[in-house]
Amino acid sequence: MSEQVEKKPRVIIGFVCERSLPIDQMMDAQKALVDDPETKIIVLPCSGMVKPTQLELALANGANATFVCGCAMGDCHYRLGNVFIKERLEGERNPKLRKNTDKRRVGMFFVTIKDKQPFLEALAAFKDKVAEIG
Amino acid sequence: MYKKFLSLTKSLTVSLEKGLNFLTTQEHNPLYFHGAMPLYCFWFLIFSGIMLWMYYIPTLDRAWSSVNYITSLPVVQQVVNKQGQTIWQTAAISEATGIPYGAVVRGIHRWGAAGMMITTLLHMFRVYFTDRHRSWRWLPWVSGVLLLVILLFTGITGYLLVWDARAYAMVVSTQAWLRAIPAIGGWMAEFFTGGDIRDYTLTRFLFFHVGGASFLFWLIWMHFIRLHEPVVTPSRATNFLTFGFILVAAGAIPAINVTEELIKQYPTLAAQKDFIASDAPAQIGMIVQNMRYDAWYMFPYYLIERLGPVLAWIILGGSTILLFVAPFYPKDRRDNIAEVLDAKCTGCTFCSLDCPFEAITMQERAPGSKFKLIAVVQAARCSECGICVGSCPFQAIDLPNTHSKTIEADVLALLKTGA
Repeated sequence: MSEQVEKKPRVIIGFVCERSLPIDQMMDAQKALVDDPETKIIVLPCSGMVKPTQLELALANGANATFVCGCAMGDCHYRLGNVFIKERLEGERNPKLRKNTDKRRVGMFFVTIKDKQPFLEALAAFKDKVAEIG
Repeated sequence: MYKKFLSLTKSLTVSLEKGLNFLTTQEHNPLYFHGAMPLYCFWFLIFSGIMLWMYYIPTLDRAWSSVNYITSLPVVQQVVNKQGQTIWQTAAISEATGIPYGAVVRGIHRWGAAGMMITTLLHMFRVYFTDRHRSWRWLPWVSGVLLLVILLFTGITGYLLVWDARAYAMVVSTQAWLRAIPAIGGWMAEFFTGGDIRDYTLTRFLFFHVGGASFLFWLIWMHFIRLHEPVVTPSRATNFLTFGFILVAAGAIPAINVTEELIKQYPTLAAQKDFIASDAPAQIGMIVQNMRYDAWYMFPYYLIERLGPVLAWIILGGSTILLFVAPFYPKDRRDNIAEVLDAKCTGCTFCSLDCPFEAITMQERAPGSKFKLIAVVQAARCSECGICVGSCPFQAIDLPNTHSKTIEADVLALLKTGA
């Protein structure tokens, strides 16, 4: 059984603010991360644009996990985008994630544009945690 | 070219902040509260200013001595006692010892003022270097430039109120500077002092100072009017640190009036004269030699003295004009402004409440409509960030070039190729 889980290709969908990471240089033509091909990226003008329903859509259609990556807290180019999406995913601001969404599979990263390596490390740690769930 | 410069400055700013994050964490990084820091310093100025105002007498013969009365601080100094031992002794620097810790309160006012200018400039450069001053942000920027000018004006008039020898030199210098304006310059120089310098002149300066500070409040309102949930308080740790710094500075180097007689009596004060002390009382017609310039508020006088009034106007006026026009160049292509789908908008107000730049207003629908309100986007204020899209539970607002339907189709396509 565990072998089957290992063999099953994993897909992670990341919603990334174009100002939080040098994301253009980090993706290949298939929109996968060069350093981690399992992770596919959707680029947005701001992390605040992410709708919780879009994360649910990814999970419902086969993604093992999904995450939002925004600018460092206090440094959103549009002032409040990262604050709002964090509050939404933590269930403190409408619209929220549905109650039945597996929140262990929803990640959040808030980084500066110079934080490529710390981001990749945090992503790897997040993926390990998700892998434990199966 | 100019945009490349802005992206370079942004990269450098982010590197600096990343370094600071290492020390302070994201939560307490003062550079993430750069806008709230000047306001925080302003509160110190308001409260210490009200306390100073209680004892200040705006007349030619009493102004200096009333300030001196406030700042009667005991100084610690080394003296030789009767047994020939060198000991530390505390002595009052003025005979009138009426206001306990008055010099500390004045020190808070003085150091708080320096803090406000330093943090204001930090705020301005941070906003400029991260390219957050242009286009839809023009009103906060323009009102910010006005705030800077009025802050400078209020600080300078604060120096005049002490009415020491330096204040008189500044009045003479200001009048020469104003007279350099064609046509109305003479009238402005007269208006500045109210004709000959007399008691009314200091009353006028007091009005300029307190009126300027009050005007700052109105400008701060203008500064915030297009910002949703402006950050008005730094983090608690940053607050304590700033408060501690101002208090320690005010206690260690308090603002006092230093005369030659006082230096003779207490030689330890000679070193402080170069820092933040005021001079001996003003004497009409006597210009102080070797004027000491305060870096944060008195740089215009340095320019006036060194370069003459006309060149000082060109430099100061020119840079102010450049600051005023900065948000209007270069212009971005704006083709992704949020659009509301009338049929889907329920008037729930979420987008209007979440828009960081107050670009969405709720308007009444026609009588008999299914819903009462509808969201309306004011294009000039829209930043094309899409935060409204994230806040809408009804798919009723979207960015035309980054449509959520496209995003959702992309998600499904990526899942297909990945599986």
